[in-house]
Amino acid sequence: MKFVAVIRQVPDGESRLRIQGDRVDLSGATLILDQMDEYGVEEALRLKEKHGGEAIVVGFGPERTEEAIRTALAMGMDRGIHVVYEGYADPVTVAEALAPILKEESPTLILTGGQQADWDSQALGGALAEALGVPVVAWTTALELEGETARAKHDLDEGAEWVRVRLPAVFTTQQGLNEPRYPTLPGIMKAKKKEIKKVAFQGASRVEILQESIQEKTRLQKILDGKDPVAAAEELVRLLHEEAKVI
Amino acid sequence: MPIDFSLTEEQRQLQALARRFAKEVILPVAQEYDEKEEVPWPVIEKLHEVGLLNAIIPEEYGGMGLKMLDEVIVGEELAYACMGIYTIPMASDLGITPVLLAGNEEQKRRFLKPLTEKPALAAFALSEPGNGSDAAALKTRAVRQGDYYILNGTKMWISNGGEAEWVVVFATLNPELRHKGVVALVVEKGTPGFRAVKIHGKMGQRASGTYELIFEDVKVPVQNRLGEEGEGFKIAMNTLNKTRIPVAAGSVGVARRALDEAKKYAKEREAFGQPIANFQAIQFKLADMMIGIETARMYTYYAAWLADQGLPHAHASAIAKAYASEIAFEAANQAIQIHGGYGYVREFPVEKLLRDVKLNQIYEGTNEIQRLIIARHLLAE
Amino acid sequence: MILVVLDHDGNKLRKASLEALTRARKLSEALGEGVAGVLLAEGQAPVEEARGYVETLYVAELGPYTAEKWAAGILEAAKKAGVKAIVAPSSRQSRTYMGRVAYALRAGLLEDTLESWVEGGEVYATRYAYLNRVTQKVKTAPPVVLTVKPNTTPLAEPLGQAGQVVALPIPPVPTVEVLERVQEEKKGVSLTEADVVVTGGRGMGGPEAFKQVEELAALLGGAVGATRAVVDAGWRPYSEQVGQTGKTVQPSLYIALGVSGAVQHLAGMNKSKYIVAVNKDPEAPIFKHADYGIVGDVHQVLPALIEAVKKLKD
Repeated sequence: MKFVAVIRQVPDGESRLRIQGDRVDLSGATLILDQMDEYGVEEALRLKEKHGGEAIVVGFGPERTEEAIRTALAMGMDRGIHVVYEGYADPVTVAEALAPILKEESPTLILTGGQQADWDSQALGGALAEALGVPVVAWTTALELEGETARAKHDLDEGAEWVRVRLPAVFTTQQGLNEPRYPTLPGIMKAKKKEIKKVAFQGASRVEILQESIQEKTRLQKILDGKDPVAAAEELVRLLHEEAKVI
Repeated sequence: MPIDFSLTEEQRQLQALARRFAKEVILPVAQEYDEKEEVPWPVIEKLHEVGLLNAIIPEEYGGMGLKMLDEVIVGEELAYACMGIYTIPMASDLGITPVLLAGNEEQKRRFLKPLTEKPALAAFALSEPGNGSDAAALKTRAVRQGDYYILNGTKMWISNGGEAEWVVVFATLNPELRHKGVVALVVEKGTPGFRAVKIHGKMGQRASGTYELIFEDVKVPVQNRLGEEGEGFKIAMNTLNKTRIPVAAGSVGVARRALDEAKKYAKEREAFGQPIANFQAIQFKLADMMIGIETARMYTYYAAWLADQGLPHAHASAIAKAYASEIAFEAANQAIQIHGGYGYVREFPVEKLLRDVKLNQIYEGTNEIQRLIIARHLLAE
Repeated sequence: MILVVLDHDGNKLRKASLEALTRARKLSEALGEGVAGVLLAEGQAPVEEARGYVETLYVAELGPYTAEKWAAGILEAAKKAGVKAIVAPSSRQSRTYMGRVAYALRAGLLEDTLESWVEGGEVYATRYAYLNRVTQKVKTAPPVVLTVKPNTTPLAEPLGQAGQVVALPIPPVPTVEVLERVQEEKKGVSLTEADVVVTGGRGMGGPEAFKQVEELAALLGGAVGATRAVVDAGWRPYSEQVGQTGKTVQPSLYIALGVSGAVQHLAGMNKSKYIVAVNKDPEAPIFKHADYGIVGDVHQVLPALIEAVKKLKD
């Protein structure tokens, strides 16, 4: 059995973002393994612990992505593959870059985050699945292997459903699927010796980012003291009605 | 190009782990444990789970074999979230160090292995009600009787004293010999005659359990003696030469927290029509905090490096410990000042920083003793 | 050919589909192409309504939704006449199947866009990134696959004549077997379409307190939202979750009760026109992102708010 988790490195949600020359400047940001992808890594580890086999982490991105791959290795993944590419690549291009590698590995299943914390993209799961000619189960919240198939619960726009799918398949992950483990200190030390194969991607993104800007909406910050809740509530409703005119 | 100020990839991973642990596990509960003056066992258990507890124990005894520089990296991150909670694993390392320095193979295996197998703590007992700085004047008495030492006396201000699996106790065989009469004995929890009484009402670091240890005719087997009779004082001093360094790291963590809180507040709080961060008076305070943090951290790293290289580090660790605790105290003080009235109440995190870090100027050798060590080193040349 | 995917609830087209149609028509003018619609349904579909908006309407009944079937349906329609762009309203489902479609066509994928236009034969768009904190301007060359963020675009008008309906035969595709739908009880207004959202966070204390959240939402004609913590605790269903891993909403009024304001939650609502927060902690991050707020006990403020709103209505 082979369980593959596809990951990327993104800025930590609380990092301060700066704009430099019309693009987001990440030099002051803390970069981490995307939390959405982390659920995929954790699931791959659980599946391997339960069913045996190998758990592989595949990362796409610039050189620094290696740190995120090491984090996944420190969590317990067996080996890593780093598809190196500087700059932005749209999900179709990323799927093109990863497809030959994934086809070669021929995994039991592939996991990746439901949404990416930098590009706010939700398409990689679908694009990868199409590239590999397999089904995709998006926004998975439960997953059980049943030999040749898997049974999974996943979100729809309204509600959720249980599905059965023939493997291999792609599952996109989110909070609720599992609780990711810490990369422990013993894990960090073992990860030193684990293999990370590097592959350069020669293609180019089909979508180009021309400009990025931060427009934090300046909020009014009219905060009332709620010691007298009735008075505060009445004042708030008055403001919403007369000033903001939203009720 | 021998000097390299960068961390290795592993050290960066270690730092990321400690930082995340501090934020997710320690920060949410720090205030609660401080208020209740209660030891946070769930945090200790989680520390053990991620491999950060008792991590200086070498790999051959089941530990992680972390070096001093690694300890310093971890210490700053954990103390950032709570110095009191950080003191718990730090004091455990303080108990482990004499065993590492002076224990024989059998003792190392016997005492250290159990501390790697489950969440468990060690402790170090040197100070007494009547003597702290004058360590050689200790009164706890050990009398050899056949295969045992009979231990009588009281130790005071012992971190982890009531929780530890075992405590390294420094006792005298003959008070007239002063430091040449001291012996280091490992006293195991539950040994008849040994009890721990928790000290309440501490100003700060209230999550760390501080105890008075009472020994009444406690029988300690000879196999629990570390090193030879008369070597105890040297063992204690060599231990403190090392363990001062994580204290310095903790001070840097507290100072960094003070700066972050002060900076955040100064950017939001407005007076005279603008954020107070625009005023020079505030800016100078913040700059001074940063001057202290950057210099204390660099020197702490240097002292750690010396220790890891096996080079003499007694005066370097003394400099680091004294300096870091003093800049941290000042940083916490100024953080409160910047917060104004809000700095004086418990809902805001800064008053706790001052209460916590004050102890860093006192324990593990007062800053006055540190200056004696530094002076002695200076004048010896 | 510009293809527009028309999303519906079985009986009516969704508003967001009419926004997508506006965008599709704009692209078609600039690229000199016609617009055709794709109406895929599990069972029932508003064919008569939909055909009033396009010259050609491709329809297919596919049984239970799966990403593979929907992608296959769209690709089948796309095959019909060399497609330059496919436009769909943005939803979690559409963003998944459009990922498949984009790969199949090796198209430039522009996700969840705010605006889109053509310059020099290339398609440009604006969209959010970095957890909704950054606005990006992007471009790609056709073929383009584009999803439209709801509440960004005026609704398209009907054409005034019924378009041609073409049934699409869809070849079977390897896909998932739907075992069981866990339909969550639809409580009132849909979250993503609501103009007012009232969200309860962990500060509500427990599921019973949400009765009043529902009451306030109902009074204001809005929907109930929940934070990750609340959903994790099992007090409210996932479908109510607002945030990075839940829904993104952009109502005129967003009321956050007992919500601390974690960045992942903010990502789901920070583009709301007005944000109101109630929290007992004056330091809660939410207050920095609020237009109005009350520092106080939500259990006392909420009932007072309900009374105040009732009074206003009278």
